[in-house]
Amino acid sequence: MLGGLGDLGHAYLGILNPFSILLGLSGALTGILVGCLPGLSATLCIALLTTLTLKLDANNAILILVCSYVGTLYGGSRSAILLNIPGTAANAASCADGHSLALRGEAGRAIGIATSGAFTGVLFGVLCLATLTPVLAHVALDFGSYEFFWLALFGVTMSGRIVGDDPAKGWLMGLLGLLVAQIGQDGLYAHDRFTFGIEALSGGISLIPALIGAFGFSEILTTLSNPNLGRIIDLKDSTLPRFREVVRYWRTALRSGAVGVFTGCMPGIGEDAGAWMSYAAARMFSREREQFGKGSIDALMAAETGDMSSIPGHMIPLLALGVPGSAPSAVLMAAMIIHGIEPGPMLMIQHPQFVFDVVAMTSLAMCTILIFGLFLVRPLLYVLRVPRAVLMPIIFMLCCIGAYANASRLFDVYAMVVIGFGAFFLRRRGYQMAPFVLGLVLGGLLDKSLRRGLVLSGGSLEPFFTRPISALLALAIVLTVLLQSATFRRVLARLGRRAGTAPEP
Amino acid sequence: MSDRDPRAADGVGAGPPYEPAGRADIRQGLGWFALGVVVLVLSLKMARLADQGVPPYAAPGLLPGLLGIAMMAFGGQVALRGRRAYRRHHGGPAAGGEPQAPQLAVRRLLAVMALCVVYAVVLIGHGLPFWLASALFVSTSILLLQAPQRRAAGRRIDAKALAFAVGMGVAAGLIATLVFQTFFLVRLP
Repeated sequence: MLGGLGDLGHAYLGILNPFSILLGLSGALTGILVGCLPGLSATLCIALLTTLTLKLDANNAILILVCSYVGTLYGGSRSAILLNIPGTAANAASCADGHSLALRGEAGRAIGIATSGAFTGVLFGVLCLATLTPVLAHVALDFGSYEFFWLALFGVTMSGRIVGDDPAKGWLMGLLGLLVAQIGQDGLYAHDRFTFGIEALSGGISLIPALIGAFGFSEILTTLSNPNLGRIIDLKDSTLPRFREVVRYWRTALRSGAVGVFTGCMPGIGEDAGAWMSYAAARMFSREREQFGKGSIDALMAAETGDMSSIPGHMIPLLALGVPGSAPSAVLMAAMIIHGIEPGPMLMIQHPQFVFDVVAMTSLAMCTILIFGLFLVRPLLYVLRVPRAVLMPIIFMLCCIGAYANASRLFDVYAMVVIGFGAFFLRRRGYQMAPFVLGLVLGGLLDKSLRRGLVLSGGSLEPFFTRPISALLALAIVLTVLLQSATFRRVLARLGRRAGTAPEP
Repeated sequence: MSDRDPRAADGVGAGPPYEPAGRADIRQGLGWFALGVVVLVLSLKMARLADQGVPPYAAPGLLPGLLGIAMMAFGGQVALRGRRAYRRHHGGPAAGGEPQAPQLAVRRLLAVMALCVVYAVVLIGHGLPFWLASALFVSTSILLLQAPQRRAAGRRIDAKALAFAVGMGVAAGLIATLVFQTFFLVRLP
């Protein structure tokens, strides 16, 4: 315990220098700018910045990425409030109430509440990150191939279930991601799979180009094919953070923080789930629930606190288990691996200081959004006025650099373009990209865990179902899939009715 | 997930307008089912490595095969669901109307796709300096994308618009080269 506090103190001292603070500020500023622009996601921002930070040392690179992650989600609330278009999907819950406040001439107040809610959410999440990660990592040391197999499958299943309106389509995208992850040499015997004699495919489809294609190029095509942008509402009142409102709505802030962290801890569920669940919980308990959707402060506070607290929440399974909670955290994980840090249960043994370094980085990110919320709200809004016709070609140029830079292979640029086209057409048909990304990230772990587990058990499936955590995860997955079936729900309802009407003995 | 398409609620993610209820699901479900069959067949044909002492339950094709089966199952479910919806609405649109996707600017989209492919596949990585390739791409894209708005406003592409597009393109190419290659030591294509 005291050792942990010492490590935490050391981590804070490590980033309290002008260079780190400057890096944090620049990362957060980039994130806010990207977040302000509807369509450009946190995933794309982190993937592009991963390229830019390749030659920096691990801690500085991750500091920039963490700050940009926090900044992007915070920046997304600007366009939600002023344009009624969420900058990132996580800000969708803020649209109705934030924009209603803006229409009433209280845009500055709404931005101030978003800033204070975001700060409170990240603060709550940071406390949970510092305390829960070492505990979970300790528990995860007992995990074997069986548990990791189910955990990887659980991430993809939950992502497919929660994201979007159609679980079957979500799971199909998860399966597609898992399948694409199988391309190239397999992890146990280095045997080529699905390479069709193309040498470049032996190395597999790299994560960063795939993510840039799925989230960057497809977004460029989506934006340019539908170029109409709504009217931007002018700011007339003060945009200063409103901590008085946080005190007034402290129950909402605390509840939303807890909901955000909880959803963040669940592998595969993204930041938007944190925002929507916090919103729903606030509506359930609020005294002004009839105002929800019409400019409620309580609702805006809940949505912004919920999505921001889920960021540190996502880092808990990422660091402790090596299983990312969302698409942006999947890129963060890839960046950590590029910089020689392997997240997972062994992290607390191999790099124990790093977990506390991430806590300190997230705390710095939290402070940067407060600084930008205090001083730079109005100038940053000019980015919303940049024409898409000018911005998008430049973003595509950055996408090409991002895809190429990690391995210096032109093949990665081609892979990015192909995946981008595929993602664009799939998105137009209602398929979400998040389960695909989770599948892509977790495909290797799933394959290795399944076959290693079977080798260890001599081909028996028994340990996959008899070890306590394995059994629990397997049950959760089976129930998640079965509950989507109308027939199963009918059977359950019939059983429930029968139990309810059964005569008492 | 955070990167869910925020405009899905605006209908951008929905299928084409006036399509009979369920038909899209039938088509897509069958597509997924076919992909599952192909994956399963390729997995079964994959080397089992038995000559290297690899047991059948650790063969490289095990997980891909299972993924193929799962794809067939979910693809089949989507297709069946579509078939039920199609029958329920007798081949007409769903009650209350199918959500309509906004009309795409198809020509604009095709032009953007072509430009991006030419830039990514032809211009970069084949001898042309990166800054020049990028300047060409960015300038042409700006001119092409702004042309419809200019036409709608009754304006033509004049020297000022041309200078703006070329200036933006050259600046973007040079700044990206300077920042990535010189400051951050990142190799460019």
